[in-house]
Amino acid sequence: MEMTYDKAFSELRDLVEQIEDRNIQLDTLTAKVKRANELITYCEQKLRGIELDIRSASE
Amino acid sequence: MQQTQKLSQLVNEIDVVIRNRFIGQVFSIKAEITDVKKQPDKRWCFLKFIEKDGNTITTEVGAVFWSNAYHSIESFERHTQQKFVSGIEITCMVKVIFHKRFGIRLEVQDIDYAYEIGKLEFERKKTLERLVTEGIAVEVPSTGRYFTRNNQLPLPQVFQKIALVASVNTDGYRDFKKVVEQNKYGYSFSIVDFATQVQGDNAAQQMIAQLEKITAGKEIYDVVVIVRGGGSDTDFKSFDDFELAKCVGMFPMPVLTGIGHDRNTSITDLMARQHKTPTEVGTYIVDSNWDFEDKINQLKDRVANSAERSLENARNTLDYYKRIVASASPETILNRGFAMIMHKGKIITDPAQINEHEEIETYLKDEIILSTVNQKKKNGNDLR
Repeated sequence: MEMTYDKAFSELRDLVEQIEDRNIQLDTLTAKVKRANELITYCEQKLRGIELDIRSASE
Repeated sequence: MQQTQKLSQLVNEIDVVIRNRFIGQVFSIKAEITDVKKQPDKRWCFLKFIEKDGNTITTEVGAVFWSNAYHSIESFERHTQQKFVSGIEITCMVKVIFHKRFGIRLEVQDIDYAYEIGKLEFERKKTLERLVTEGIAVEVPSTGRYFTRNNQLPLPQVFQKIALVASVNTDGYRDFKKVVEQNKYGYSFSIVDFATQVQGDNAAQQMIAQLEKITAGKEIYDVVVIVRGGGSDTDFKSFDDFELAKCVGMFPMPVLTGIGHDRNTSITDLMARQHKTPTEVGTYIVDSNWDFEDKINQLKDRVANSAERSLENARNTLDYYKRIVASASPETILNRGFAMIMHKGKIITDPAQINEHEEIETYLKDEIILSTVNQKKKNGNDLR
């Protein structure tokens, strides 16, 4: 599914809440941080007209 | 037979008659104007007053605004939001002047535009009432605002694809594009022009046609922007057109207006989301994108802080376990002077595992003592 600002934002917000949870499994933390940074870069670049190939998580 | 006289004698006589009849008098007339020739540099305006029967002109007389009355044209345009051009009807105060060379002319003293304003306000009220009756707008009591399908559409968090309905290469068009395209954050935008007139008889129709073109196309825009610059050119009447207002009120993509006049709000403004000027719409769009990026940046900080904190916690916990494990290791225990007893390769934890006369190995820090058990008895000392 095509990534959009709205999808990127809500996925990112959810990830941040999970990352901030003190009971998070360290094994999954790295993956979640990686995905969060990917979404952040996507938004920053897309705002400036650079389209990164990133898919929506619900795909 | 009458005596032949010079032209000037006859014209002088006409002049006297007209002068006697009309001198010093001011008349109020209502008539259509035509052949309007403004000379803003001199502050003169020549025109004709006409009266028609169907399409035939039945009465026509030349008229003029001299510099003492020229300001009334500007006031008229400002207050009625109507351009002073051929084809409109005005009510004005005139003097009758006869000139020996140019003939009879009406000298306009002032325009009475109260009537025009009344008419405009009445029409505006009627248009708004019709929009409410037809279910396009819902009046929000005592706010002067209206809810429409369009202005209740949710706005996207980021605006990037913009359909711009404007008169290309006008100030309003340029102002908007400048603010958006030269934004200091480096945001990129795709603006597609839907060129239209924004004043004059065809303006409303043209704007509707362009709006229909937007919906007919496959492209989905984040927002439709309608702009028109300000300035002395004050014909905003097209934006009060019922059909245009209806089209905007029902429009399926969010519409932002920047119709440059701060005195008045057009009906089109009321059906959409209004910003005062083209520059203000542009600023709003750029700022919205910045707000979004700001939220992203806050989340970015939270990710960095939390991830760092989680790793730090994990490192601390690991260090703690390492210390526990180290303090429990046999090596540490032997270092403290304790010994470990083994029998047949097994650590003895229960005295029942060995019998008298059997061999045991006692492990100390650096040496092993081999010995035979002579006797077993209960340990009276409480060493625990």
